[in-house]
Amino acid sequence: MASEDEVNLLVIVVDVNPIWWGQQAQREPEFTLSKCLDGVMVMGNSHMALTRTNKLAVIASHCQDSHFLYPSKSLGGGGGAAEDTSSSRDGKYELLAVANSAIAEEIRNVLSKTEVRGNSTDTLLAGSLAKALCYIYRVSKELDVGQEIKSRILVIKAAEDCALQYMNFMNVIFAAQKQNILIDACVLDSDSGLLQQACDITGGLYLKIPQKLALTQYLLWVFLPDSEQRSQLVLPPPAHVDYRAACFCHRNLIEIGYVCSVCLSIFCNFSPICTTCETAFKIQLPQMVKPKKKKLKMPA
Amino acid sequence: MASLSEEVLLVVKKVRQRKQDGTLYLMAERIAWGPEGKDRFTVSHPYSDIRCQKISPDGKAKVQLQLVLHTGESTTFHFANESTALKDREAAKELLQQLLPKFKKKANKELEEKNRMLQEDPVLFQLYKDLVVSQVISAEEFWANRLGGLNNSEPAPCSNKQEVGISGAFLADIRPQTDGCNGLRYNLTTDIIESIFRTYPAVKQKYSENVPHSLTEKEFWTRFFQSHYFHRDRINTGTQDIFSECAKQDEKGLMSLVNKGVKNPLVDLLSLEDKTLDEGYGIKQALPSTSNTNKTVKESSNAAIIKRFNHHSAMVLAAGSRKNEVPADQASETSSTDGNSRDSDFFQPPVKKVCVFTVKLQEAIEYEDLQRESKQKTVALNLKKSDRYAHGPVPLQSQKYTTSQDIINAVNCIQHEMAHYKPNLTQVMSSTAASSAIAALSPGGVLMQGGAQQAINQMVPSDIQGELKHLYVAAGELLRHFWSCFPVNTSFLEDKLTGHLEEMLQTAYSKFHIWQTRRMMRKT
Repeated sequence: MASEDEVNLLVIVVDVNPIWWGQQAQREPEFTLSKCLDGVMVMGNSHMALTRTNKLAVIASHCQDSHFLYPSKSLGGGGGAAEDTSSSRDGKYELLAVANSAIAEEIRNVLSKTEVRGNSTDTLLAGSLAKALCYIYRVSKELDVGQEIKSRILVIKAAEDCALQYMNFMNVIFAAQKQNILIDACVLDSDSGLLQQACDITGGLYLKIPQKLALTQYLLWVFLPDSEQRSQLVLPPPAHVDYRAACFCHRNLIEIGYVCSVCLSIFCNFSPICTTCETAFKIQLPQMVKPKKKKLKMPA
Repeated sequence: MASLSEEVLLVVKKVRQRKQDGTLYLMAERIAWGPEGKDRFTVSHPYSDIRCQKISPDGKAKVQLQLVLHTGESTTFHFANESTALKDREAAKELLQQLLPKFKKKANKELEEKNRMLQEDPVLFQLYKDLVVSQVISAEEFWANRLGGLNNSEPAPCSNKQEVGISGAFLADIRPQTDGCNGLRYNLTTDIIESIFRTYPAVKQKYSENVPHSLTEKEFWTRFFQSHYFHRDRINTGTQDIFSECAKQDEKGLMSLVNKGVKNPLVDLLSLEDKTLDEGYGIKQALPSTSNTNKTVKESSNAAIIKRFNHHSAMVLAAGSRKNEVPADQASETSSTDGNSRDSDFFQPPVKKVCVFTVKLQEAIEYEDLQRESKQKTVALNLKKSDRYAHGPVPLQSQKYTTSQDIINAVNCIQHEMAHYKPNLTQVMSSTAASSAIAALSPGGVLMQGGAQQAINQMVPSDIQGELKHLYVAAGELLRHFWSCFPVNTSFLEDKLTGHLEEMLQTAYSKFHIWQTRRMMRKT
């Protein structure tokens, strides 16, 4: 088992895109955001119950912002005394009770403050991941002397990928790779190429769940063990990641293309001028063979 | 006889070959035999083809000489002249013995090189076995690209050797040992002899003149050591000494060196002499003259020793900077007249005085690494549409299109739902859902397909892997031959491509096919 001094930090990033979840509630009323959050809480509780030195953080990823559900700011202020007494009545481990109530309260706050704007309907996932990385960094700086920390991020994704966040996403992924932070992904609806890349690069697990109702089971089975234990377990094999680049002109995924040597932009067809940096290219055309003039034989 | 363009070294009549009478001719580059009465040679072998010669034992009645070629064939000559058979054969054998080694080196060199390459590189050796031994490619084609330039140039490692200089103390290293009874033993090794010859070309000249005509080597060196040339107190008495000439040449050389002086414009050696101003301000005395008249015996012997030391050092330095001359080269006429002053050339390259001055001045005052670095001219990158880079590999068109009304509805719905959210952790999921999830995650389940596959190199035994690797490398070599034919400029290449290579590839393919079926049969 891990030594007593090793801190294991799990940051769960939950996609709470209200538009998607609202539509989901209309499509499939058995599995809604409440169920999803219940599952997340079970996962968080299990993680904290494993070892005393395990730490947890939960971030809600919204269209407007990213919000820390746990640890939340209101905890330090000693607010919600009524909630505390009610939860401690059933003899639950204090920490878990506090965590659960904090998460519940925060998510209520977040969703009540939702303002709908038509132009931003995408989940700010890259921002949430960046916040997670910063939190991990902060915690690792606040450790006691001699303590080591191992952290990972679990992303529970609902809505689709946003193409505009590509750059930020890739930066986050590479930063996580440098810090040896695993990024796991549990995808509810549609496959996400960015998260597949993230899991492949950082060494985490990517899973698209066939049954949303059994979310908790998948979380506990696949994502609860940490990276050392995963090597001993038989887990779903890594998915094949599509690393093909997209051409700059049509955004088609191509395997073979033309790359401008000046600005490194990728094209699917050859054009004599690069449209990004306006460099002119010369291509050697095959040599034209001049037909030889046949000498006419003069009649004798 | 037929006109011979080569020099004939030996003719032996009445030599039988394959039961035919004829004459054996040994020429400058080959050995040939022609039957009696005919003009042309039926048998002709260049010496480079001959690997060795064999003779029949002396007691035998038949006197024979056999030539074994590199290819393994052998030709036998029977010396049939009753009286002189043995003598003839001995004469032929002697001549061959002298000639064969000269030509042997050329042929062997190539073979040796090939053998060495094959031994050093096991991959090449395997390739050779696969392609040449099984006759997919001919040996010449195989070696065509690899030997390249072997016959023309020296092998590369030799050219990087540094020349060994001469130790300044080489004469002192010949420590004489007392012989017991008033004699001295000098041990001369070839290194020391070489050093002496390189430093003192005059001695070398004397050596080549006298040895081995009038003096043996031992006598030469004995005289050398006995001569006053060698000893410290070099008093020039006695002209019968062969080395007295050397002494005179040395003297001349030294004088010419001194006269040339050192022409470094930044250093003025002459200003280092004592300057006299007046009585009491310096030494007012005539400079000591170098003439022999007024000196005492001691002074002159000291001067002689110092002169010898200077000369010796100058010679050692000059010999070290001289390029390695071919030993057979005799000293040219110009050098024999001015003795060893040839070496003084190496102290001053013949350049104009002014240029030398400026160059030396610049060298002295400028340092390379203190100069400003020369910046390369760069072209600025000018991007027109840089937002293209930010877009990820996601197609532009979005899959879903939601109306604003849908959005509002959805948000309202979720807000309504979550306004009264209370976690209910005991009712998270039903047991059926959980067990189906577990089933999907167990080995063989829906999510576990395509996982934990054995690596293919664990499934295939290693000997098959090895054979496959060899086949692959051989196929690569054939492909290299194929691609080297492009661009098809000449008709030769075209023919090679369509005819020869086609054949090679077919052979290779059939070989692979055979191997494949053999392996498959073994499995089943």
